[in-house]
Amino acid sequence: MCNNANPYVPYVATIEDTWFETEGDRCVKTFKVTLDEAAARDSWSHQPGQCAMVGLLGIGESMFCISCSPTEGDFLRFSIMRAGKNTLALHEQEAGDKITVRGPYGNSFPMDDWKGKHIITIGGGIGQAPLRPIVEYVRANRDQYAGLTMIYGARTSEDLCFKGEFEEMAQSEDLSCNLTIDIEEEGWEHNVGFVPSMLMDLSPSPENAIAITCGPPIMIRFVLENLKKLGFADEQIYTTLENRMKCGFGKCGRCNVGNLYVCKDGPVFSYATLKEIPEAFA
Amino acid sequence: MVDVEKLKEIARETVSRDDVKYLIGWRQGSFGFRAAPHFVNKPEDTDKLIFSPLCSHNLATFLTLAEKLPVPRGQEPDSRKIALMVKGCDSRAVVLQLAEKGISREGIYVIGCPCRGVVDQKKVEAKYPEMGESVTAEWGKETIIFDLPSGREEVPREEILAGKCITCRYPNPLIADAGAWEEVAVWGTDDYADVKEVEAGNPQERWDFWEDKFASCIRCYSCRNVCPMCYCEDCVLDRLNPEWVMRSVNTTENTAFHLARAFHLAGRCIECGECERVCPVDIPLMKLNRKLTKEVREKFEYEPGVDPEAKPLPASYRPDDKEDFIL
Amino acid sequence: MEIIKLSKDKFADFLASLSEGEQKLYAPQWVGESLRFAPVTDSSKVELGMANTTVPPKSIFFPQTETLYRYELGGTEMQQPQVRDTGVVLGARPCDARALVIVDNLFNWDLEDPYYNEQRVKNTVVGLACNNPCANCFCPSVGGDPASTEGLDVLMTELEDVYLLQPLTEKGQKLCQSVAAVTEKAAAGDQDAAENLHQQAREQVARKIETEGIPENLPKLWENTLWQETANSCLGCGICTFLCPTCHCFDIQDEVEGIEGRRCRMWDSCMFKEYTLHASGHNPRPTRRERTRNRINHKYSYFVDKFDVIACVGCGRCINYCPVNIDILEILQQAKEAL
Repeated sequence: MCNNANPYVPYVATIEDTWFETEGDRCVKTFKVTLDEAAARDSWSHQPGQCAMVGLLGIGESMFCISCSPTEGDFLRFSIMRAGKNTLALHEQEAGDKITVRGPYGNSFPMDDWKGKHIITIGGGIGQAPLRPIVEYVRANRDQYAGLTMIYGARTSEDLCFKGEFEEMAQSEDLSCNLTIDIEEEGWEHNVGFVPSMLMDLSPSPENAIAITCGPPIMIRFVLENLKKLGFADEQIYTTLENRMKCGFGKCGRCNVGNLYVCKDGPVFSYATLKEIPEAFA
Repeated sequence: MVDVEKLKEIARETVSRDDVKYLIGWRQGSFGFRAAPHFVNKPEDTDKLIFSPLCSHNLATFLTLAEKLPVPRGQEPDSRKIALMVKGCDSRAVVLQLAEKGISREGIYVIGCPCRGVVDQKKVEAKYPEMGESVTAEWGKETIIFDLPSGREEVPREEILAGKCITCRYPNPLIADAGAWEEVAVWGTDDYADVKEVEAGNPQERWDFWEDKFASCIRCYSCRNVCPMCYCEDCVLDRLNPEWVMRSVNTTENTAFHLARAFHLAGRCIECGECERVCPVDIPLMKLNRKLTKEVREKFEYEPGVDPEAKPLPASYRPDDKEDFIL
Repeated sequence: MEIIKLSKDKFADFLASLSEGEQKLYAPQWVGESLRFAPVTDSSKVELGMANTTVPPKSIFFPQTETLYRYELGGTEMQQPQVRDTGVVLGARPCDARALVIVDNLFNWDLEDPYYNEQRVKNTVVGLACNNPCANCFCPSVGGDPASTEGLDVLMTELEDVYLLQPLTEKGQKLCQSVAAVTEKAAAGDQDAAENLHQQAREQVARKIETEGIPENLPKLWENTLWQETANSCLGCGICTFLCPTCHCFDIQDEVEGIEGRRCRMWDSCMFKEYTLHASGHNPRPTRRERTRNRINHKYSYFVDKFDVIACVGCGRCINYCPVNIDILEILQQAKEAL
């Protein structure tokens, strides 16, 4: 949490590096940032799954998931899709520019409770952003987890985020890295097909496993169906939600799904919780 | 006189038609001197329909307010008509919505209700402050009769009518597919006395007058939402990029909002008075709208929504226009 | 704590002593054509005779637009607003004061809201018991009372020639001491008269709803036709939420003039389509049906689940001011029948 007595006042942060993950109208750009104040850096502590409000003075703030694991170092990463007013302005920022950051907000993936389990992440498109910290966290603490399977897909190979990291992952003993794209492409060496089908092809055992999924609503729907077919219990399935947010700590009202605030009770929810909330997948 | 049984019969026939999706009329409200819009889906729902001096709502608003959800793949869009009841003033909104192509003629079925004027809620509530349970009202001969808990009371209509009705020149619907009863005689004349009263002040006085009113605006946008002619899907007021009117609620931004709203209605306001009726802080919005109406009438000899054949004002440029700046 | 009384002919002096020094005095006054709480500059403009103000006194604690901090474009320095003066809120109706206690929960769970809390600490709330509840008041149904003391520092009751002032908290006690010069000790008979008025008012409240079972069961009516029927005539305006004393939702926007910028918050409404609209264009509450359902569920179920109290004080404003007569008591009644 912000150490400041006023939770609305953000930290100032400097962009260290930026790069594009994908191209096009709705391109995704990753920002690697460091908080300016030493005290802020010292007190900041986030866990996989948590979010932060990223903003530009004079433009506004938006909530994004932190797309790096705390195990990666003393910096933050945000992978931001260009969509509205704030993200458009953020995309214009380059290394050296100042942004504002407050947070971290929300709960996190229960990484401690999952120790000793086989972790399976199932992502689609920009939905890989909140899953990436899980993958990195487990890899950094690999001996504490039974296994790591990553399933990730997008429409085309160009639409996959974090492309630069997959080659190393594919070679690694740490994890099983499974990539898929919707449509056949020249030079593509991995799977072709939708993410839910790839899940069925791999058919991971639900025994001692946890499956975490994030992606477009339609993908999530079929992934959930398939996980149930594979015998995963509701408590073994997790997802992370996003909604429009303004404050980040349960005041401004808008992010609720049923009686749960995404910013405080979430963004991480087990399917056992969400299936009781009719609005959750709206 | 109003024959409510006949009205219900027409309504029953209408909602029974295969080509009608639903009908919008009025029902008695839940308390005091209120009516409410009533959506009729099946013939038995017509029992609650009323037409009385409480029926202020311009139901034409609901034609453009109806939410169009994406049609699931493989399904045909529902092209059935929406039926609605209109008073004279309301019908002008329908005429103009048609002229502007905001709605299609095939998409609606209009039941005309000649009107003898509706009451001003605030005037009635001031007269009978002990308002409680729902009170019904009906038209008498140049009076309005209330069925109060203490007994029937007949009030001269000048005393209690809404401002728009006192100056009403179009009490009979100008468009209708079915009608419930005979036309009523026009009683009103309009000399824009309310507008002239403000115009009489010097600029400073006029500014002070409006500044005081705009300062109290809470930007609930009920005036915009209730307006049958405010139906842009992407409203300039909701825009964040660029933010033409800031979200901050203060006199400057409120003024920008009200002027933008009024100007977008120049030559388009059909004077149903709904904006002023719904305003929770009682801003006299019709004074603003009618100033523009008056200008348009004087300069262009144009009145919106009275001639089904006429083009909308902003679409009716004339080569002999005395202003040449447009060329 | 000792009950005191204020003779009505000393009312102007009373107001003067309440606004002494730096202290701000807020009371119901006509602004434009509507009654709301505003700083008192002319004591003759204070209007205590009407029932509820159009805009509730929440606007003092949670202003419609509030600057969170200022900055210069291109800079990184964020300037928080100046510390505010202490104040007195005079003539808050018991329902509106109770609403503050309800909203306190939200502004203080997890991270505390410094702006709201500062105003809560700095203002003394002098309530005015309702001798004549309005047609759509239903405070007793939701745990309130025309003479409820929750959220008040002083309860004031209007008798024929005097106002009776009952201090309820330390702040209230201090306020009563500060007006000692214009008040006197109340007689036993005065208190009895006040009690009688309170009782009469209680009996006068005409509208009721039995809320038992609603909080736990309302979400079960998720697909009930009730929501579509209500939403049919809903205009999607902000009246019911802006005028609600417990509605607390806000938007945050950056506003820039020249190089001066500020990040501020302003009331927002769950009835607006933009409220939940994602930048992607997706809207989890795409129509007025979902928005209406959320508004009622939030007040009568979700808030209860979080804070164990219904987020409605029965002030009747949403009923009185709704342009299309959407009546929350009718909705709740229909919900009860459907359960």
